Amino acid sequence: MNLQHRLSSGKFVILAEMHTPKGVDISDLITNARGLKGRVDAVIIPDMDNGVMRMSALAGGALISREGIESMIHIYARDRNRLALQGDILAAHVLGIKNLLVVQGEEMRLGDHREANPVDDMDELELIRTVKTLQGGKDSAGFDLAGKPSFGVGCTMSLWTSDRELDLELEKTAGKIEAGAQFIILPPMFEAEQLVAVIEKIRGFRVPVISTVFILKSVGVARYMSLKMDGINIPEELIQRIRKAGDREDECLRIAGETIAAFGQLSQGVRIETMGWEHKLPIILDYAGR
Amino acid sequence: MITAERKPLDEIASCIEPYNRILLVGCNECVTVCAAGGRKEVAMLSSALQMVSMKQGKTLSVVEMTLERQCDPEYVESLALHIDGVDAVVSMACGCGVQEIARRFGQVRVFPAVNTKFMGASERAGVWAERCQGCGDCLLGLTGGICPIARCSKRLMNGPCGGSGDGKCEISGEVDCAWHLIWERMKALGIEDRYEEVISAKDWRPARGGGPRKIIREDLQ
Repeated sequence: MNLQHRLSSGKFVILAEMHTPKGVDISDLITNARGLKGRVDAVIIPDMDNGVMRMSALAGGALISREGIESMIHIYARDRNRLALQGDILAAHVLGIKNLLVVQGEEMRLGDHREANPVDDMDELELIRTVKTLQGGKDSAGFDLAGKPSFGVGCTMSLWTSDRELDLELEKTAGKIEAGAQFIILPPMFEAEQLVAVIEKIRGFRVPVISTVFILKSVGVARYMSLKMDGINIPEELIQRIRKAGDREDECLRIAGETIAAFGQLSQGVRIETMGWEHKLPIILDYAGR
Repeated sequence: MITAERKPLDEIASCIEPYNRILLVGCNECVTVCAAGGRKEVAMLSSALQMVSMKQGKTLSVVEMTLERQCDPEYVESLALHIDGVDAVVSMACGCGVQEIARRFGQVRVFPAVNTKFMGASERAGVWAERCQGCGDCLLGLTGGICPIARCSKRLMNGPCGGSGDGKCEISGEVDCAWHLIWERMKALGIEDRYEEVISAKDWRPARGGGPRKIIREDLQ
């Protein structure tokens, strides 16, 4: 059963994020993906995540699909105008990519090509509409397509730092659902209570909600995120648990596994953000009991 | 100057359709020079809007004002005397002026009556052309005083594309090829050798690539 069917029939899904290489050596990507075959429902390939230039998600998604694993690629409008986006979306379909995740591109000034010119030809809402238009057999200029692409289309919610920001984010998300998004992927959370609270608020959207488990790779990463990233709440007990562990790396993997298991009880799916630990996903899934 | 063109009358009239009293504000700077939103245009638009209103069987009251500079808080402040008596403001300034009024008078709807176009110069009577895109890192010294970013359709940095012919751009016979102009200018200046110098891919951070821009002069604060 593919991801779209699992989501629409209310079945639990696990999505693992894997990055394309900064270069052309795809051996790690392929090896890591093969290690997950049958253990995840899809692999998500971000596109130049955090504004860092890498091999495109389109190529990454096609490679994953070729391995017989369902893929989902990020699309956004920071780097491509509407022609390039539509061309790549059509290409994604013929290359076997079954799912698109419409996201917001990171600010160019935070990436590794800070001097580049951002395109920003359309926003997330318009991009979701454009995908829907393509699926209906037309391009965004109204011209007929020879054959219609089909995808599962998801959207994301950004982090929030206050109830007011959450309300605004919910309003934006409602618009994305109305525009055609079929599922929501939440930002990273580290406490079940926070997840329960937001899921309660988006229950009315009546689309599958996928939570995100971010792998904390060290005390330093946890501390940095806790202090520097607005909207991230990492309980101090969690940081202390890693700090006091005899094998800190293994403790990080256990925490990720436990969080996946816990969030799996609360949401219809879990996305695992790996931050370079793609090769440790099998162990994390073991700890999650998956 | 910042150039602008007045919006179609129907569009402006539909914006103010719910209102009976408006403040119509022009600007004495760029939009006066390009005949889009100065004192004269304020008077003409005021009459036109009142005629539209009369045709609809209504009466529109228009307070006409033209500020020295609508992008300057000092001048915008003078609208405070009139703002309470109106339902909405229609600005004939560029987008900077419209936003300055909106910033100062948060309780009143402000509508633009012009479309802000570009930074340009007058070519001849009634014709203005784009000259600058405010990229924040001027390279006119390298290109003979002619900007390839503002004046080349493809913003090419190292010579013309294959679409250039007879000194004109492929998009229209009315548009000069910027690189043809640059070459002619370099020849006239005797600096043709500069043409061979490769200009690297532009750093767009000083332009809009770095987000909304601001100039801070501590010596003037």
